[in-house]
Formats: sequence, C-alpha cells, structure tokens
Amino acid sequence: MARYILTRAFYSLVTLWLLVTIVFGMVRLTGDPVKMHSEVGADKAYLDELRRRWGLDRPLHVQYLSFMSGLAQGDFGYSFAKSLKVRDIYLDRLPNSLKLGFGAFIISLALGIPLGMLSAIKVNTSWDSVGKVFALLGLSLPGFFVGLVLIIVFGVELGWLPVMGKGEHWWDWRHLLMPAFALGWYFSGAMVRITRSSMLEVLGSDYIKLVRLKGVPEWVVMALHAFKNSMIPVLTLAGLNLLIMVNVAVVIEVIFNWPGVGQLLYDGLTNRDFPMVQGVVLMAGIMIVVLNFVIDILYAYVDPRIRLSR
Amino acid sequence: MPTTTARVPFTVVLPRAVQRSLDIVRAAPIIPLLVLTILGFAAVFAPVLAPHDKLQPVTPTAAQCQARFGFPDCPYVDGMPPFWYAQGSLHTPLGTDYLGRDILSRLSYGARISLVVGITGTLVAGIIGTLLGIVAGYMGKWWDQIIMRITDAWLTLPSLVFAILLSSIRGPGLWNVVLILALVFWSRYTRVVRGEVLSLREREFVKLAEVNGVSRLAIIFRHLLPNVMNTVMVVFSLQVGISIIIEASLSFLGVGVPPPEPSWGLMMAQERESLMEGKWWLAVFPGICIMLLVLAANLMGDWLRVRLDPQLRNR
Amino acid sequence: MSKEIVTLLAVLGALFIAASGEAVSATSTSILAGPLAQLDIKDAEIAPTRGVPKGTFTIAQHFALDPTWLDPQDHIVALTQQHYDYLVHDAMVKTMPQGLLTYSLAEHAEATTDFTKVAFRLRQGLKFHDGQPLTTADVAWSYQNYRGVSAKLFKDKLDSRRPDGGIERVDDRIIIFHFKEPFLDFMDLYSGASTGIGWILPKHYYEQVGPASFKERPLGAGPFKFVSQQAGVEMVFEAWDEYWRKSPAVKTIIVKGIRDPSSRLAGLQTGALDLAYGMTGRVLKTVMKDPNLRWDPNFTGPWWLMFPGYQEPSSPFHDKRVRQAISLALNRKFLSQQETEGIGPPTGNWIGPEYSSALRTPEDLPVPEYDPAQAKKLLAAAGYPNGLDLEWLVPFPPYYDYGERILTDLRAVGIRAKLQTLEGPVFRSKTGQGRKGYEGNRTIVLNIGPRPGGAKDSIWVYAICDSPSAVICEPAIEERWKRHEASVDPEERDRLIKEIQRMILAEYYFVPIYVNPFVHAVGPRVLPAGDAPPGEGFHRYWATSQAPYPYPWEDWQVKE
Repeated sequence: MARYILTRAFYSLVTLWLLVTIVFGMVRLTGDPVKMHSEVGADKAYLDELRRRWGLDRPLHVQYLSFMSGLAQGDFGYSFAKSLKVRDIYLDRLPNSLKLGFGAFIISLALGIPLGMLSAIKVNTSWDSVGKVFALLGLSLPGFFVGLVLIIVFGVELGWLPVMGKGEHWWDWRHLLMPAFALGWYFSGAMVRITRSSMLEVLGSDYIKLVRLKGVPEWVVMALHAFKNSMIPVLTLAGLNLLIMVNVAVVIEVIFNWPGVGQLLYDGLTNRDFPMVQGVVLMAGIMIVVLNFVIDILYAYVDPRIRLSR
Repeated sequence: MPTTTARVPFTVVLPRAVQRSLDIVRAAPIIPLLVLTILGFAAVFAPVLAPHDKLQPVTPTAAQCQARFGFPDCPYVDGMPPFWYAQGSLHTPLGTDYLGRDILSRLSYGARISLVVGITGTLVAGIIGTLLGIVAGYMGKWWDQIIMRITDAWLTLPSLVFAILLSSIRGPGLWNVVLILALVFWSRYTRVVRGEVLSLREREFVKLAEVNGVSRLAIIFRHLLPNVMNTVMVVFSLQVGISIIIEASLSFLGVGVPPPEPSWGLMMAQERESLMEGKWWLAVFPGICIMLLVLAANLMGDWLRVRLDPQLRNR
Repeated sequence: MSKEIVTLLAVLGALFIAASGEAVSATSTSILAGPLAQLDIKDAEIAPTRGVPKGTFTIAQHFALDPTWLDPQDHIVALTQQHYDYLVHDAMVKTMPQGLLTYSLAEHAEATTDFTKVAFRLRQGLKFHDGQPLTTADVAWSYQNYRGVSAKLFKDKLDSRRPDGGIERVDDRIIIFHFKEPFLDFMDLYSGASTGIGWILPKHYYEQVGPASFKERPLGAGPFKFVSQQAGVEMVFEAWDEYWRKSPAVKTIIVKGIRDPSSRLAGLQTGALDLAYGMTGRVLKTVMKDPNLRWDPNFTGPWWLMFPGYQEPSSPFHDKRVRQAISLALNRKFLSQQETEGIGPPTGNWIGPEYSSALRTPEDLPVPEYDPAQAKKLLAAAGYPNGLDLEWLVPFPPYYDYGERILTDLRAVGIRAKLQTLEGPVFRSKTGQGRKGYEGNRTIVLNIGPRPGGAKDSIWVYAICDSPSAVICEPAIEERWKRHEASVDPEERDRLIKEIQRMILAEYYFVPIYVNPFVHAVGPRVLPAGDAPPGEGFHRYWATSQAPYPYPWEDWQVKE
C-alpha cells in the first residue's frame, strides 16, 4: 500500500510539473502584456518601466525558475492588470465559484440520481426512455443557452429572479438559482447515465438476489441496499464533476455577472495578465490532480489486493 | 385439372456487404438520422436553399421602412419578428437580426460552420490521439511513460478553459477553432486507445505477425488500427457533440468564429441585448439549432456505442 | 466727549484700514517676482453650510475594476482613472463645473510670463483622511515620486541645477516649481484632468505601506474615504465630512464592474444600480422607453476612420479618391439612428467641438455628404470599377455591431472587408503603436479618442511623425507644427492648429462620422442636483466639460 501511494504521488507530481510548464509556455505565447498597456499617448520610458517592474525583461529561463520557486512557496506573483497578489484575488473569488459549483452540484444530483434510478428500476420501459432522453438533452444543451432561456423566462418575462450578480449576503439563494441550474443541467445528464448503469449492475448482482431471497420488502431493497451500493461510482464522478463545474463556469459567470474565478480567467486573457491566467489555470489543474490522487488512494484502500500489498 | 403454380417468393439476392448495410440502416434510429440529414442538407446546399444572403441585409419595402422608422427610405429594417407575429412577413420567415439580415438564411449557413468545425476538429483530434495511443500501448516503455504523462497533464485541464487559453494565442478564426479543438481533445482518444492496444497486443494474431517478422509499422496499420476503430468511432461520435458546444461557447465569448460569419454561438452572443427588448427569438433560434444538432449527434453516438460494444447491447 | 468718540472712531478706522490692508496685501502679495502670466483658473465653489451625508449611491462601471486606478502615482493614459481620482484624492487644480482649471487644494497660483516658474499656495487647514495635515512636503513628494504617464517629461523640465532640484518649498503652504526652459503647457498637464502628478498623496502613509499595499488600501484628501474592495468586482467608499469644499451629499458610494450592457440595464430597472455608463446600442432604446429611467447624452468625442499605411503607394488608400469615396459611402444619419437613436450628430471633424482650437460643425466645416453613387464613380476613376477588396475593418471595442453597420455601408458601394474583433487592451495597444500597430496597409480602423489637452493634443498624438501613435506623417503638417511649438503667441498657435485640422480633413486622412454620446443612465433614486427643478435637473451632474464621467461626486444626491 505504501509503495502504491508513493508511486501514485510521484506520478501526480510529474503530471503537475508538466502542467505547470505547459501553461507557462502557452501563456507566454499569447502576446506581450506590456504592449497591451501601450495606449495612445504612452511614452517608451513608461513602457520600459512597466516591463522591468513585471520582470518581463529577464530571459525566459530566469522567469521560469522564479515562477517555479514562487509556486513552491504558494506565491503566484502579482497580477498585471489588478496589481494585487494573484493568490489574494483568487482566494477572494474562489468562495463565489465554490458556491456556484456547489449549487450546480446539488442540482445535478437532485435531477440526475432520481431519474437514473427510475431508469434502472424500470429498465427498457418508457420510463427508461424518458431518463435516457433527459440525459441526452442535458448533454446537448450548452450551458449558456439554458442560462439565456432562464433569464428570458424567469428574469425578464416573469420577473421572479434577479438576472445578475451574486447578491449581497451569502444566503441570497435567489441569485444563485438560475446560474446553478444552467451549470448543473449539463452535468445532470451524465449523472443520469452513470446512476442508471451503476444501479443496473448492482441490481443484477448476487448480493441483491440474496437480499431478495431473504424476503426483504422490495422498497427496502431499492432504497437501502441497491441505492447504497450504487452510489460509489456516482459520487466519484460527481466529485470530479464538482471540480470541473467550479472551473468551467466561465460562460455562465459571464452571462450572469457572477464574480467567480472563471471571470478572472477571462479578464486575465483579454488583458494578457500572465500571472492571473497562470494562477487560475494552475489552480484548476492542481485541484483536479489532487482530487484524482485522493480518489486513487481511496479506491486502492477499498480494494484489498492493493491495500494488503507492500 | 387445376394447376397451382407454386408460388416462389421473389427474392433478390444482394451482395453481402449491401445486405449488411441495409440491415444497419433499418436498425438505425430514424429521428436523429433525419435531423442530421436535414441539417447536413441545409449546410451543404445553403447557397441554393437559403432565401437570402448571409451577410447582406434584406432589402426592405418602403412600407416596412415607413412602419419602422417613419421615413420610406432606409437601408434595412432590423429586428423584424418571425412571420407568425403581426409585423413579420413570410419573406423573412424567422425575422431579421439587428443588421436587417434574414435569420433563416444565417441559420443554415451557420449549420455549415458547426458541422465543419465539429467534424473536422474531432477528426483531426482523433487521428492524432489514436496514433499516439497506439504508439503508447504498443511500443511501451519510454514511449508509453512519456505519452501517458503528457496525456494525463493534458486531461487535467477542463476543455473550455484550455480552449480559451489556446484561442488567445491564435486569435479568432474558423480554422483556428478547428486547430484548438484538435489540440484540446486528442488526449481523450489516447487514453482509451492505449487501453485497447494493451490488451490487443497480447492476442494471437498480433503475436503471430511479430513472429513472422512483420514490421512494427505494418502491424500498427494492418492489425491494431482496424481493431481499435470501433472504440475510436464511439469516442468520435460522442466528441462531435462536445466539440460543437465548445465552438459555440468560444464564439459566444468572442474568441471563436469572428463576425460577420453566422456561427450559431456568435449569433446568440450578439443578440443578448435584444433579450431585454423582448425579442427573444433572435437568441433562442440559434440555440435550438445547436441543441438539435448535438442531440442528434449524441443519439447517433449512443446507438453506435450500443451496436459496436456487444456487452452493452442488451442494456 | 466728542474728542473720545472721534479718537475711538479714528482708532477703529485705523484698525479697519490696517486689517483690510492686511487682507488685501495677503492676497495681492505676489509669490513670484516679475511680470506674471494671465492664468485662467476659476475659484472653487465652497458650500456655505455643511450638510449630513445620506444614502447609498451605486455606480456600474462598464468593465472590470482595476485597483491600480486608486493610485495616481501610477496614473495610466486612459481617462478611466479620473473617475477614482475624483473620489478618493484631490488635486492642486482640476476640471470642475466652474471651469477647465479650477482651484482645488491650491487657492492661488502664479506663473511668470515665460513659464519658467510656477507657484502655488495651498488652502489653510488641509488634511488627509487620517487627520494628518496636507502640506507642500506632500506636493513635492508627489511630484518627485510620480511614475505614471508623462513622468519623464515633468522630471526633465525641472531646473536640476538648483540645490533643491527645482522644487522650492517656501513654507508649508507655498511651493514654487522652477523649470530649465519655458513650460507653457505645465498648467494644462498638471491639472488633475490630464495626468496623475497633480493629485497629492500622503507621503507618510505611502512610504510606510508601499505602492502595492497602497492600491489595496488607498488614502487621500478627496471627498470620499476608501472602505473596501473586491478586486475587479466592487469598490466601496464612504463620505468624508471634513472635506474642505463641502460635506458629500451621499454617505456611501459603491462602484461595481459590470461588463454586460443588459446586466447594467437590468440593474437600473430593478433599482440595484443608480448610475450606469455605456448604455448605447440596443439597450438605449429600452432606456429611452422606460419612464423610470433618465439618461444624459454625455458626448465624449467623434468617431472617425483611420487608414494606417495610407502613405505607401501600394495601399489602396494612397489615392485620395478612395478615401473620399469611403467618406461618401457612409450614411451617417442612419448609422447614428441605429447606434444612438439619432442622438449623435454627424460631424466634419475628428476632434470634439468643445475642445480648444477645434473646428466646429457646421460653423467651420460642412456636414459630410452621403452620396454612394458619387462614391462608386470615384472608385471607378481611381481604378476600382468592380469594387475594392480590403483586409480588415477594426472597430473600437466593444462596438462590433457598429463596425458591421459600417461594413454594410461600404459593401453597398463595392468595398469589401472582414470585421476584426479585438479585445479592448489589444485594440488600444495596437492603436497606441500608430501605423506600426497594424500589419499591411489595407486596414481601416474605427477609432475614438477625446484628449484633454484640446485639439493640439489630438494632432500631436495622431498626426505628428514623432508621436509613437502617429498614423499621419506629412511634411506640410510637420512644418506648421514646428512653427506652433516655437511660437509663444496664442493667436498664432490657434491659427496654425486650425490650419492643420483643415488640411487633414480636406485630404480625408481621417474620415469623421458622428459625435459619440456615451450615454449614462440613472435610476429613479437619483435626485436632481442642488435646487434645480425636477425632471431635467439631473443633467447638472454632467456639467463638468470634457469630463468622461459625471464628477464631482460630492454633489450627487440620492433618495435614502
């Protein structure tokens, strides 16, 4: 087990390092940020000073080493466009994205799991088709389309829900509802599918047959045994999806003016704000690598072949 | 004595390949195929079928100008509603956009963009990814390690984030989007193909070929490639839908296909302000088109997956 | 008895004369020796009574907020930063409704006729938000440490041969700047409306926290104190009721960065926002129809088309007839109708009418014609009978719709091009590099750029060969510009600037379109300014000329 953990940790670190290097290179390919500030009327002295202040006059490998060493200390540098520390700005915004992601997560589970279970229980009937169609619809509608339709219907026409921003207090659920739905809808499709297939597998297993033979009432079989055992792959996928939701909510954040990290990425790219872009993309990658690592370890722990090995 | 001629049923014996193709077609899901055909038709024959130009505004009548602006002479009338509204007309059945261009025509030209980008992008990604996967699975050792580490790193980035990053390097443009899609999605193929190849490589026919001294290149192309095609096609069919959505998202954000080309995502982005005016159809119609196309592609993909993967066939 | 009264009266009279003499001499004692230049600086309007700040005022900025804007030491070129300068900081002189140059922190200024010496006297009892006094030490420090736009120019002009480096602090209230050569434009550039050097920062605080922390928590002498910010999203300010001019009428100001016009509109309609910028294009129609909202046209400057690389013989724009054809092809009235509901007037000059030495339409220049038939004839005569294929039309972001409308007009006379959508910073960077910013010579750029220095500044930036952003470089213009720079006669300077404008416009180097109304809209909570009548009274908030934003902020009033 220890060896397994170490190997996986090593692989994760290699992946992380590759990720960091790839992002570093690509971000620098996007263009010269100092030129972005060469507005009409700016003089060369001012621009040279900017270049020096941002460390862009140093050779590339020096910039890379300084970036890597900063990373090791958790420092992502100073944002070009916002002058403050990237880490501070990011951490300031992260709770907003987490709130949105979590809301979408709940919605995707609330929509996906019941439908997936229904599909599995009534497999190959018209209920099953309903489930399948719902899943497909979810995967076929881009999030921004759902968002726009929600804005039209609930925001403009009916006026029930506010169409922008995050709301003043953390308990403002009305601002959260539409963007979370728009984001969660897409992932609910995947939830339906995996719940369905996982449930089918469990329903066909010997364990369930045994429980039925013992005379346990059907609804207990479903609600307790089948449900519990089918949730492992579902929750794994859901966990991964949560992270993805937090990070790919860019378009949703733009439409609903939600101040999350997706907007930071978008702003950073348009301003050629290297440190900001690097920071956001890396944080996304790091979160996913760490989560994958944790899931690997958990699975390994559950699997006795690995747990009991050296 | 009455003679009864034995009724021999008239059968046409078709070549086997044709027979099998007909079987497939008969089993294929009708609705998605129909949708895809219609959209494909609209895309390919857009210049002929579309009632108006995709870029030029529709020339208005004096009456329309008068009704809209109060003077009879105007270059175009913008924001006309679909024909089932009072101010609409069958001349522009789905209405006109903010520049007076016919929406139906732009939607059918937009089908071209979505299909070209979606299919080509996924195709190129598939080629790159499949080859890399085969090399990684078959060659093993260092090849495998390096390619898989890079693939892992590539896969950690969420595709939209990655696509936006790449788009800021290349800038907007139709072929740039294709390139971006290829660069973002190849890794999806590599992982799956490698897994297949790992098991294929132990099979007898491969071992036999190796023993017979067939070159590795020949083994790859003659033995491995055809056998991974099923998996590749499944991934392909599922990826097409995702690619179309990514292209629409990029165009929506302004970093995909640039104006004045009628990309569906771009049309939705441009008409967001019209939503506040109550002109909902301008942003909704392109969205419906995206939904239909992706839905059809996904349904086809599902059907293919079930057909090609015997384990799933009875689910 | 009478003798005592007379003596008393005489003493009182003498005291009175002495006192008034004192008062008179206090204001008439010149700081500088020698003949003084006539400075057109208006007095500040100080409120006679101090009210109590009430209410919260929410503003929607049309792009993400940048903490750099809170630090005038790093002042950027764009006019956006002034929005925040006027909130948190104060300048020696700045543009106010009273005039383009109005006394603020300074109550008196003098300059010698050759502009080699400029002196200021600060008001009595000035403080920063933390209670520390504002003295000439801070003024000198702000000048010496300034790093923003034109920093080098200001530092180079100082007479460094002097032991004090060119900045003489007579006492805590009087300061004299000594220059090594005549600096005629000093007052224009030192004004808070142009650069950041005139915005006075607290030396003690800035040196203690450093530039990075200063941008996180700025401190100044302006009417509002900084409270908090969420980088890029929101900034909160609170009234400082010890501001010298008046106690601000609103208690809290919140500025939000909202990029999307429909979101800004929605905010206004629901009351979440009180003031929103950039309500142009299609949202303008909705704003005008909504009875709860009011709007101000807020003219900024004209739109115009530029042709980078037109001087090169290989460029299609090299032929004047092509440029003229483009001007004739634009249906300015319809463009203005579609983009601004007809509010923006077509104009013949790329410089706005309210700027100094600008030629005005229709007094000095005719409104350009719309004649597509003539345009086609000109194109044919220039060698393009079947139309002309250009590369790109690059519109000023985010006016991409506008760019498409122009493309439609051009296509009608046979000129074809594609739209190139650039993001704001990319566009500004390319345009900032002038001709070199754009590849090839078949690109048209749609630009707008009101410049606070008047017509001569617009000419200097775009039409003088030495300027980094120059698109025009013509010997005839250079010659006149040299004469302008050498002259000290304001009338001759004015005449030369107008000649240059005429040349540029007659040759169609720039093709102006219409004056842009960068519409600002206010919600129902905003009260009319001061004692103005209800209804239109709120327009008084935009009384500051050449200001892109409706400052001064301390005058705004909202319902509680």
